[in-house]
Amino acid sequence: MISQLDNRKHVKFLKRHLELLPSSHQEHDPNKMAIIFYSIMGLAALKIDVCKEYKANLHWLHKHYRTIRSPDSQETISGFTGSFSMLISSVNCLSLPNTLFAILTCRTLKDEEFFHEIIDPKGVASFVGRCQDPEVGSFTSTLDYKRLIPSPVDTGDLRFCYIAVAILQLIGFTNEGELKEFIDVEKLIQYILAQQCADGGFGSYGEPHAGYTSCALSALSLLGKLDRLSDCFKERTISWLVSRQVSNQGCMRFQEGNDCFDSEDHGGFQGRENKFADTCYVFWCLNSLRLLTPDGCELPIQPDLAEDFLINRTQNNVIGGFSKNDQDDPDLYHTCLGIAALAMLDGSFDGVLFIPKGITV
Amino acid sequence: MDNFDDVTPLPIETELEDELCRIMYTDEYRETLGLARALLQAGEYSERALKLTAKVISLAPAFYTIWNYRYDIVMHLATQRGEVAEAIDRELDWVDEVTLNNPKNYQIWSYKQALLQKHPFPSFKRELPILQMMIEDDTKNYHVWSFRKWCVLFFQDFSHELSYSDLLIKRDIYNNSAWTHRMFVFKHSEPDSTQIKLEIDYVKDKIELVPQNVSVWSYLRGLYENFWDSKYDESIIKFAASFTSNVQDFDHKDSNLPEIESSHALEFLANIYAYQENKKQNAIRAYLALSSKYDPIRKVYWQRQISLIK
Repeated sequence: MISQLDNRKHVKFLKRHLELLPSSHQEHDPNKMAIIFYSIMGLAALKIDVCKEYKANLHWLHKHYRTIRSPDSQETISGFTGSFSMLISSVNCLSLPNTLFAILTCRTLKDEEFFHEIIDPKGVASFVGRCQDPEVGSFTSTLDYKRLIPSPVDTGDLRFCYIAVAILQLIGFTNEGELKEFIDVEKLIQYILAQQCADGGFGSYGEPHAGYTSCALSALSLLGKLDRLSDCFKERTISWLVSRQVSNQGCMRFQEGNDCFDSEDHGGFQGRENKFADTCYVFWCLNSLRLLTPDGCELPIQPDLAEDFLINRTQNNVIGGFSKNDQDDPDLYHTCLGIAALAMLDGSFDGVLFIPKGITV
Repeated sequence: MDNFDDVTPLPIETELEDELCRIMYTDEYRETLGLARALLQAGEYSERALKLTAKVISLAPAFYTIWNYRYDIVMHLATQRGEVAEAIDRELDWVDEVTLNNPKNYQIWSYKQALLQKHPFPSFKRELPILQMMIEDDTKNYHVWSFRKWCVLFFQDFSHELSYSDLLIKRDIYNNSAWTHRMFVFKHSEPDSTQIKLEIDYVKDKIELVPQNVSVWSYLRGLYENFWDSKYDESIIKFAASFTSNVQDFDHKDSNLPEIESSHALEFLANIYAYQENKKQNAIRAYLALSSKYDPIRKVYWQRQISLIK
């Protein structure tokens, strides 16, 4: 039994993703910013001095930031593209998720030049606002490449709602009056509330999902609107989240016929009912529970067992990193989420904005 | 490959000194992307551009702008030739092929939605086989189930859905996606009281097959909440208690608690009793038993539920 976090190997695993990558990574080229973000954030959560090591790359990172003028109006919007493959002049390839990834990366690297000289906060906020569906209130991840309207081939969902709110928060638009200049706050809240599920949690068309639940609760929390949820729904969501901790004790043993039950998952969290436990859902469930638990109160789950699940089951002790379960190879996403979950458990990570605590630019 | 001699490629800038995550592109990727970027910039809506976008998508399915560009090409050519339905049908066939080759690609579902919304006479029948194949391949795939529910609403056709969820539930009684789909459909069907009773019998049968299954108990609760205003009758209480050896009704020492068949049944009862003035003691007993024996990983939560009663 290995009983601790193997930092040295994780650092190597994460740094390797920032170096030269084999062509098998080509399919992720359009979202390179996600690779950078998960790597830098994982390293920062492991308390590596990322500022020192990656400050020299900021100039290159800034080149992903673009300002686009609408052909039919004077409006300009600003944001990031996912990679150089998406930089095509006169074509709008800005991406909402990649904009959040880049802004969080700049913040983690204490990039004063970006926040004080480069960014046009109103332009970024306009981009965010343009991604909102004026009828439904939800956000899409990109705009049409020619016009400033949501992309016709994209649909809104809770992930992009959260991302929109997080971007606005990070660039300084925090109170409702400022937000209303760019987005329809009430429509957004109505959309989020419409994704509530009867069993607790949030998801599309009534099937709750821990990832969407975290997005919905984080967005409401950043908007200062968690009180729009009824006490009854909050209680049910706590119950739903608590029930996602997988157990092999008591009656929970009686699941021989369940193909998605593994008694070795004990202590881990699943994203939905009757699914295997998975590294990333430790993060999503714990972040959600934290938001519904008063400050200073213990979470109504067993954090030690969740930690054991991550360290003894999904951590890879050979090449570093975390995988989603005990079967797959480790990957960058689950590595970052696993490290973030552990950092959140020791109180050093802000799960709502997804950034180590105490970073200021 | 079509002739692109007249196109000046727009290569991806790379091999910069301060670049992070530099990818060793293959020649094929470099060339394809170089051409596609040039055509996109020029706004070329042609048959060769359409074919090229397919190649880009096979190499980098996450290239979000290319999907948007492809959609414009399809619609442009369709309108130009005055055959919108045929063009969209051909495109739907192409997406299905991409889907089968790369089932994890999540761009396809919103792309299909966009196409179906533009189709002059879209058909749910056309979508059913591919949906079935995709669900069979991954029976709890969230994106596929969401797309199915989107289709049901878009086509306003609920007629296949109860029997379909039954089929999936028969195959795997633990499939929570199938159970939530069933609830989604059943709620829309505006059932009368006979149908509701039949549905309660349906889920009771499934509970008897496998009592320790969270999905079935949530479904049962959902039926009572949605249709019967959470009024739990004696018969359903008795039914649930048949899986708990009535541990909620008598004081036990922890060491004397018997084995029971379902912690979910006990929680179901506790949650009902917690709101009944003369049954609060039974709720507390149930939570205590869950905490000490039947579901101890959640002991902090069960204790919290007890403190909320008092």
